[in-house]
Amino acid sequence: MVDLQELHDAILNGDAKSAAAVTRAALAQNVPAIELIQQAMVPAMDEVGRRFECQDYFVPELLLSARAMKAALEPLRPLLAASGAQPAGTVVIGTVKGDLHDIGKNLVAALLEGGGFEVIDLGVDVAPEKFVETVQQTNANIVCLSALLTVTMLSMKAVIEGLRAAGLREHVTVLVGGAPVTRQFAEEIGADGYGENASAAVALARSCARSAAVG
Amino acid sequence: MLERPFQGKPDFEHLRAVLLRERKDGPVPLLELVADPEIMSEVTGIPYPAERAREVVWGNPDSFDPETAELGIALMDLSIAYSAKLGLDYVTMTPLVALPRTRAQLANTGVGRDQALRSWQDEHVGLITNRDEFLRYRWPSFDQINILPVEYAATRMPDGMKVVLLYMGIFEDLRQLMGFEPLAYATADDPELVDDVLEGLTRIAEYTVGLAAAHPATGAIFYADDMGFSSGTFLSPRFMRQHVIPRLKRIADACHEHGKPFILHSCGNVLSLMEDFIDVVGIDAKHSFEDKILPVEDWYARYASRIAIIGGLDMDLLGRGSEEEVRARTRQILQACAPGGGYCMGTGNSAANYIKLDNYYAMIDETRKWNEEHGC
Repeated sequence: MVDLQELHDAILNGDAKSAAAVTRAALAQNVPAIELIQQAMVPAMDEVGRRFECQDYFVPELLLSARAMKAALEPLRPLLAASGAQPAGTVVIGTVKGDLHDIGKNLVAALLEGGGFEVIDLGVDVAPEKFVETVQQTNANIVCLSALLTVTMLSMKAVIEGLRAAGLREHVTVLVGGAPVTRQFAEEIGADGYGENASAAVALARSCARSAAVG
Repeated sequence: MLERPFQGKPDFEHLRAVLLRERKDGPVPLLELVADPEIMSEVTGIPYPAERAREVVWGNPDSFDPETAELGIALMDLSIAYSAKLGLDYVTMTPLVALPRTRAQLANTGVGRDQALRSWQDEHVGLITNRDEFLRYRWPSFDQINILPVEYAATRMPDGMKVVLLYMGIFEDLRQLMGFEPLAYATADDPELVDDVLEGLTRIAEYTVGLAAAHPATGAIFYADDMGFSSGTFLSPRFMRQHVIPRLKRIADACHEHGKPFILHSCGNVLSLMEDFIDVVGIDAKHSFEDKILPVEDWYARYASRIAIIGGLDMDLLGRGSEEEVRARTRQILQACAPGGGYCMGTGNSAANYIKLDNYYAMIDETRKWNEEHGC
């Protein structure tokens, strides 16, 4: 019988091959996909985030673990879709207009996906209208905005204003992050939250999702 | 507008004494890593096609056509005029190193002066991602490296001014050559490749820095090597201590061999490496500070007994704040950092094209006033 700790450890150690192999073996033994996610993958990515927060893990370790998690998630996707399992939330994420940096944004997306969220990644250089349109089309309840420059982070305000103009602002939690972004800036532009780093952003998204569920 | 020139004439020897913490008295100098061409153009009134500056700064000098060479000469002239206009003690120049690089084109942010396509490294693609590509990479030979910009400035800058040579560091070039994401994976999958690329870059850096430091017109080396982001270093301190810090020491030694100050610019939260920078590498000064990470006064309090501290006026304030706020913050920093010596006023990063020029002038002007009030 597959030991789920093996999948947990493979993700934690950034071993993509082992993560994929253990997942396939577990599926062959009829272990439900949701059990693999909830009992191995989510705890593993939580531990990755915790180690990053306490500076035991750095960006390479996050990328390696994210790669391993994605390798494990790949065979599970069609099963999850077929099972009708509900994600923890639906997140639209992107790097704002004029900005091409995405390592941080990709890490947040990977951690969110590993944490059970449905993630729609719009990529980089995303116009405000694109964020708004995607929220309309997907009924997303969380929007995550990333920027690396002082000049480009100003576009975050335009996204929030666009959501308001489209009548969506009340239905969406907007989280912002990136090198030049501060808590003060987040408050100035009317964002709902600010993530200092990838794991903080994910913790914030989870907290928002839980609040929405209770509300 | 600047109310008055910052000072009567350049005095690099004073700037040097401040950098080496040899004196506590005297005026607080100004020092920046670099000024964007748009800023230099506005300050001097000399037009320059800023959108083409990257061809000169990031291009391979071996493949410069006559037009690009002319742009390079114009950029050097602009830099000298800018430093003279502001009354600086130095002019910033970069060496010519034929290091093949990839650069990604960024979409137009369309904000203020930042109308040109802004470009920098692609995080996902590099020129060296495996051993074959490493073996095929065209490392420049030493005879392809020159310090013509230093020699050019030597005969044209005002008396009392010296060159501060800006050198792009080995860790930044490592990320450029490998792409950050491939580099991250390689630290686990192929650490020897990472080490070999670093060694290739270090040999070039040692040679170039030594060549520049030996020139009498060079006053200091400004070594720019971002190693962190807001909450920590990009790679683990363990990796950095094993692979990067010893190499930084070799580069700093090449500078110190000629008695010149070695200034480290490194963005991000590099607090975990500061003892290594000071005790192992032997830096003379540190630049690049963000209030979000730790205000410059706190860096000064921790490290000014051992190294000089440069700049620290937050980029967000310079970009979005009012002139009054900038003047107030400049005073606050000067009150904390000037009396003990070993401090130069400047921005938290650079005179970037997105800062308000009036704010930049306010920072300079308030520093001038401080100096006059204190008998300098």
